[in-house]
Amino acid sequence: MKIPFKDSPRNKKLENLVITAILIILFRLIFPSNSSAGVYTASEFLLFGFIYFAALYLNDFFNVKKYAPLSVILNIGVLTAIIFFILSVSGNSSSGSIPNTTAVESFFYMLASFLLIGGLAYIFISFRYLFFLRQKKNPGKYFNVMVLFLVISYFLNIVDKYFKESSFLWEAFFAVSIMLISINSLRVSWIAFLTKKEKIYLLVMSVVIAFLFLRIASLFDAKEITLLASLKDFSGGTWTYMLSMMIYGAVYSFVIFFTALFHLPTAEAFDRKAEEVSSLMDLSKIITKVFNSKQLADTIISLSSKICNSDCAWLVTCDKDTIEVQSTVNIGYVESEKITQKLLLEINEGIDETIILGKSSIRIAYENDLKIYNFSSIAIAPLMRHEQVTGYIFAAKKNNTVFDDEDKKAISAYADYAAVAFENARLFSESIEKERMEKELEVAREIQHKIVPSETPKFRNLQIAARFKPAYEVGGDYFDFFDISDEKVGFVVADVSGKGISAAFVMAEVKGIFESLSKVISAPKELLTCANDILKRSLDKKSFVTAVYGIINLNTGVVNLARAGHTPILLVSGNDVNRLTPNGIGLGIDNGLNFNQYITELEFKLNNDDILTLYSDGITECKNLKLEDFGMERFEKLLKENKSISLESASDKIIESLEEFSKEYIQHDDITLVLLKWGNH
Amino acid sequence: MADFNVSSRGVGSVNVLDLKGYLDAHTAPELEKAFNKLIDEKSFNVIVNFRDLNYISSAGLGVFMAYVETMRENKGDIKFSNMKENVYNIFDLLGFPVLYEFFKDETEALDKFKVQG
Repeated sequence: MKIPFKDSPRNKKLENLVITAILIILFRLIFPSNSSAGVYTASEFLLFGFIYFAALYLNDFFNVKKYAPLSVILNIGVLTAIIFFILSVSGNSSSGSIPNTTAVESFFYMLASFLLIGGLAYIFISFRYLFFLRQKKNPGKYFNVMVLFLVISYFLNIVDKYFKESSFLWEAFFAVSIMLISINSLRVSWIAFLTKKEKIYLLVMSVVIAFLFLRIASLFDAKEITLLASLKDFSGGTWTYMLSMMIYGAVYSFVIFFTALFHLPTAEAFDRKAEEVSSLMDLSKIITKVFNSKQLADTIISLSSKICNSDCAWLVTCDKDTIEVQSTVNIGYVESEKITQKLLLEINEGIDETIILGKSSIRIAYENDLKIYNFSSIAIAPLMRHEQVTGYIFAAKKNNTVFDDEDKKAISAYADYAAVAFENARLFSESIEKERMEKELEVAREIQHKIVPSETPKFRNLQIAARFKPAYEVGGDYFDFFDISDEKVGFVVADVSGKGISAAFVMAEVKGIFESLSKVISAPKELLTCANDILKRSLDKKSFVTAVYGIINLNTGVVNLARAGHTPILLVSGNDVNRLTPNGIGLGIDNGLNFNQYITELEFKLNNDDILTLYSDGITECKNLKLEDFGMERFEKLLKENKSISLESASDKIIESLEEFSKEYIQHDDITLVLLKWGNH
Repeated sequence: MADFNVSSRGVGSVNVLDLKGYLDAHTAPELEKAFNKLIDEKSFNVIVNFRDLNYISSAGLGVFMAYVETMRENKGDIKFSNMKENVYNIFDLLGFPVLYEFFKDETEALDKFKVQG
């Protein structure tokens, strides 16, 4: 059913209300008395309109979603008191007839009537608000039926006034209305959600309000009150409406009184449960927001202390044998730590669920004094993470009260939450730490890329291209070029065993060694021997470095090179690829052997367009998903195929082929490729 | 991920470690454990049989470097046998053959230990 004017804005509703009021006043001025049935009927309709608009306007002040029944009840109480006051001061008429009134008096009567009707509209809307409050299902139709009967009763007054013989109609409808009012009054589930204090308040209020409503209702029949008597004569509908509101109020107040009374004994338990639920909700909110352990501990311990009414409580975290008090309520940190130690020592076995200890007195030495704590009950709840105890919540009572099962459950719940919260906080700080590490690694990566030449140097007769790709942020591969003299250039490719940070540190050391040795030793064999001596001292037993070091004469194209355990040097010459594998063991491998004795130096002359290829085993041992190696053959074939294109393009081709080959498999070793092309054109 | 397995068996005064699968940074600790056990038992004559080993990484090589010293200080040795070509190539490139003894077959290595007595 669509209610007219229901959705218009508030000021529009007020406008309607005022217009109706003015219409009524004008109507009254024109027709001072109900001279005919027509006038009476019109007057009744106007008054109904006033009530209707008043109710619509006032309804906007109520929001069913907001839970504030007590203030509504208080408003009802105040309003009934005012109505009672108005009725009381409006004067008595012992005769029951309407006295002759002056214009001023009738104006006041009019004003008082408006106030009465408005006040009752407010009370009616209040009942409606309370009716719908905290209802799970929508009980709207019960209320609407009641309203319908009230409206019918209202208008039946007209019939009643002029057809006395059919007054049973009004009586019947009014009786049904009262019945419906009584039924609807039983919807008071909102009372259950009040706290104990509020229930007591409500109990008192309901007595007062019931008295007021009953008192006013009793006036209706007495015909002692001028205002009411005149009202009945003047508008039977309004009189009916007022009377039914009084009955509604009286019945409702009684229902409230008894409901509140019966709810009182369970109020405390209900309060406690409600508080538990709401505090656990608060806690779960905190868990996701607060990552400060101290703040978490404070919140948890104060909440659990409050919920189970303990005299003091504290939270400790333990790590192996050390315990640390994180937060306390009503007890000092030092004392609580000593008591904890005493208690845990006494129990002397793992606490993996909440326990309640009976009477116990605990003596602790404190500030050169012996302090005795007499507890009537102590609850200990462990904080568990992955079946390990990470801490405890202690709660203690002093005054002969004990913790019951409810307290035990509550403390357990708090301990569980606390465990989760601490775990969260720990993980959060770990993730921050991880982020920091990642940043540092990023810095390390940048530094490493500065250690290797970012641009390949340019020399006459010699083109150079290089590629460097660590498997992780940093790696153990290294390559470099050195200006030795006007006509000689040194080059090195090295590979530190292992990967990641440890390899990167050694790589930096290797860089330093080659950088400085290249300035003082020109022969590759001697240089590698010297590098071996240095590295032997700093490398751990399990690590080694492989390297190729060579010198190229820019005038003649003569190359001298030596290999220390490194991958073969590939010489692309004409249509062949020659693997050069001069003897030589890896740096840091020989234990007591004469490294120098086992290394041979190679000397050869480059021809035009010869390409000298140096690389790390990251290329040949690059793997695909089937764990197949990229291998020497593929690599050599690629070199042959791309020997005629520019060195840069050839390097890119090789790296692309490697990526294509291992695209389904993570790169697990550092990749370095250095191409040197001789061109004495 | 590729599997690795190491088993130890005694042949007279010599202990033979049979390696199987892939020896890399992830699986190297298993081999280290086997060597530590041998040192605890004071068995310093060790033959490592590579018959079923398919791959070795630098981390794997490092294990032998770490333990050979201890064995030799105690008048023992680590000898290698039955190595596949691809695995041998890795040892060879690094120059291990100058530092360690490699044998085609386990019995040859055992004979060598007998001669050394």
